[in-house]
Formats: sequence, C-alpha cells, structure tokens
Amino acid sequence: MMYTIRSLGKWMGGIAGLLILSAPVTMAQTSNKLTDPEIASVAVTANQIDVNYGKIALKKTKNADILKFANTMIKDHNNIISQAVALATKLKVTPKTNATTQSLLDGEKTTTTMLNSKKGSAFNKAYIDNEVAYHQAVINAVKTVLIPDAQNAELKGLLQSVMPLLESHLEMAKNMAAKF
Amino acid sequence: MTMKNLKNIFRIAIMVLLASSCSTNNNSKVQPEQSKRDTVIIQAMKFQPDTIMINEGDTIVWINKGIVAHDISKYPDKTWHSDTIEPQQTFEKVFDDSTSYFCSIHPTMKGLIMINK
Ligand SMILES: [Cu+2]
Repeated sequence: MMYTIRSLGKWMGGIAGLLILSAPVTMAQTSNKLTDPEIASVAVTANQIDVNYGKIALKKTKNADILKFANTMIKDHNNIISQAVALATKLKVTPKTNATTQSLLDGEKTTTTMLNSKKGSAFNKAYIDNEVAYHQAVINAVKTVLIPDAQNAELKGLLQSVMPLLESHLEMAKNMAAKF
Repeated sequence: MTMKNLKNIFRIAIMVLLASSCSTNNNSKVQPEQSKRDTVIIQAMKFQPDTIMINEGDTIVWINKGIVAHDISKYPDKTWHSDTIEPQQTFEKVFDDSTSYFCSIHPTMKGLIMINK
C-alpha cells in the first residue's frame, strides 16, 4: 500500500520546497520543526485515527481474529491519547492543529472511504494491510520527526515509551496480514 | 554489688536475649526457607526478566509498569490465564512446573518460567 511516510511527510516536503524557493536557510531551519503543541496535536490525531479504523472493523467484520485485534487497537490507542492529554494538561500545552494533523486527517478520509467500500474477506484484508502500512508510517513519523523535534523532556519521554507499543502492533499486524 | 543483684541482672540479660532471638526467628529466618516471591516487571512491551528460574511452589508477581493493559496466559493454549492487568496493577500465581507464557493481547510478548526441582 502506498502509505509509508508519504502521507505524513507530504506536508514537510511541501513546506521545505516553499522555503528553499523563497526563504533564507536560517529561516528554513527554525520553521521546519514542529513545536510541542503541534506535536501533541499530531500524537492525539494519529492515535485517534487508528481508534477510528478499529471502530470501522468492529462494524464490518465477523472474523474473530480481526475483532480481537481491532479491540486491542482501540483500547491501546485510547490509552495513549489519555496519557498524551494528561501530559499536555499538566504541562499546560494546548494541542495546536497544524499541516501534519491536516495531512493525517486527509489520509484518514481516503482510507475510510476505501475500507467502507469493501466487504467480507476483502474488507479483512484491506483493514489489516492498512494497519501494517499505517503503523509503519506512524513509527517512521514518531522516530524521525516527533521525538527529535520534541522540546519538553516529558513529552519526548512519552513518545519514546510509545515506540515499543507501536512496534509490537506492527509485528502483530504483519503476522495477521500473512494469514489473510 | 551483691550476689543477688548480679543474678538478677544476669536473668534479665538472658530473657532479653531469648526474646530478641525469638523475634528474629519469626520475622526473617523461617520465611525464606519456604515459598519465595519473585517479581517480573512488565515494561516497554517486555517481561523483565523474560526468563526466570524459581523453586517449586514459589510465587511470581507481575507488575504492569507499562502504558497499556496486558495479560499473562499459558503459551500457546491459554489453559490458564490472568484477567486483564491494567497499568499499575499486579497479578500473582504459584508455579510447580516449568512453563512458557505470553500476553494474549500482544502475542509478541513472551516469557519463560523454569522450576528448580
Ligand atoms: Cu500485552
């Protein structure tokens, strides 16, 4: 699936391109980074999207393995959201919508339409393939953008602590995808 | 100091010694000989340590220090399993036989219990 970092990274490419054409290098370096309020927004949005995909699966499948996986995704990603919101509240950081958030939401719209158009085993395969691609994309974004850009140590720590969970979800999704 | 006084002091000293040796017996000497409790920490999507060697009849206590819920299930058939262990919660179980186990919520997490017999 043509997901990978493209949907997450598209905006960065766009912004970088604009800055190369029109702005001095020093400005590109400072503007390129996500601020902590933007990171909080991206983190919550990215997790909410996988919760939403899981909810589509609960509606559309009868397959026990897919149902179990979807329920785990809903529970785990909701858990991360709660912790991100709790930390943002503690740090008095208000999540700020930004180009990455918007790009994530655009991707969700396309994928939701695609998932809703499928039925039965075709849906199961589409759902689990998307879970592989989506987790891979989120892992890349957290590793290469969110963690390096995070300024607050606790926010960086939370993002780092989420990585093993995302890696485990990816492995689970890959193992399941092999069976569908 | 009279002989009687000395005897009294000696008697008290012996009583104090006896009392203190009794209490150490009760508190720390007897228990380690019987069943022991070992701890496995659940963190970063791993059981730490993932292999643990214990004596027959010892108790293992799992403490979930992670950010999501897990469970402890007999690998691979779940013939025994814990309830869902939420973050900061614990689960404990006595073991008489070696066994491997996993988290059925996240099957990538696996552990092994080895019994000294
Ligand atoms: Cu688990």
